[in-house]
Amino acid sequence: MTEADILHWIRDTSLGVAVRQSRWMFATGETFHFFGLSLLVGGILIVDLRLLGFLRHISMRSALSFLPFAIIGFVINLLTGILFFTADPMMYWPNPAFRLKMFLILLAGINALIFTLFKHRQALALGDDDQATTFMKVSAGLSLSLWLVVLLLGRLLPAFEGSTSFL
Amino acid sequence: MEFLTWLEQTEFSTWMRESDWGHPIGLCFHAVGMGLVVGISFMFCARVLGYAKSFPLAAFDQLFGLAWFGFAMNAASGIVLLIADPRRMPFTPAFQIKMVLIVFAGLSLWALARALEGTERGRAKDLKVPSGAKVAAVTTIVFWCGAIVAGRLIGYTIGPPPV
Repeated sequence: MTEADILHWIRDTSLGVAVRQSRWMFATGETFHFFGLSLLVGGILIVDLRLLGFLRHISMRSALSFLPFAIIGFVINLLTGILFFTADPMMYWPNPAFRLKMFLILLAGINALIFTLFKHRQALALGDDDQATTFMKVSAGLSLSLWLVVLLLGRLLPAFEGSTSFL
Repeated sequence: MEFLTWLEQTEFSTWMRESDWGHPIGLCFHAVGMGLVVGISFMFCARVLGYAKSFPLAAFDQLFGLAWFGFAMNAASGIVLLIADPRRMPFTPAFQIKMVLIVFAGLSLWALARALEGTERGRAKDLKVPSGAKVAAVTTIVFWCGAIVAGRLIGYTIGPPPV
């Protein structure tokens, strides 16, 4: 199977056909993509800003209790994102903004995974007014920057339709 | 109407419509601002409704500074997007509804802040949130969601360019 075969197959799935034929599915998906974006931004802000030292007067455990909102937001956006992709895979796949966005989401995921595996327990022990370690701060800074660029690339995606590079 | 026609013919308005980047960049700022305003509002409302009880409400003061920054960003980028399409945008019902819903969301947040006045917001854990504040938290969430729906609908329902 070539790349084109796979893209055609995705386009012709019943989901792809349904999204293209429906008047409301794509627009509703976009709206939910915005709800998900807001939940992701809200949750990630509290966790990352606390790590960076901005909300120092609260315990890390309290801040991390907002993380589930970020995860819910991400799942909403993953599902609605799949919906958009199946509707028009030939537009998304070669789009440089789409490719970079997916790559940066992967990096953000690896960053979050490393934090969870190696630093989560240590972070939970940070009480009121405790400073995070430099490693944690770098991880939080990376997380905020990556998600910001992911958001911007999503919004810029249509502008890169049909182009093959950023130049 | 004459003013709107003049506005539409200004160099900036024309550039916003015809350049490759004007519109996408305006929308970029608008999306980041939305994430800040709505994201922080959602977390605040969740806290008021009883989520993460160990998280002090006072910690949101700092976050609301950031939310106001997001709001300023969206007011500015919103005006820019309005200038790009001054003869169609103001007459699109979805746009008008969105403006009303944003005002309602703001009033709702103001009422929420009023309802919380007098409660011990510092480090007290498990403080008692007045039920009026909880009602205002729910309406705030509903109004922001409504504003997002209406905003998304502008692009789908804006009329054809007037002749």
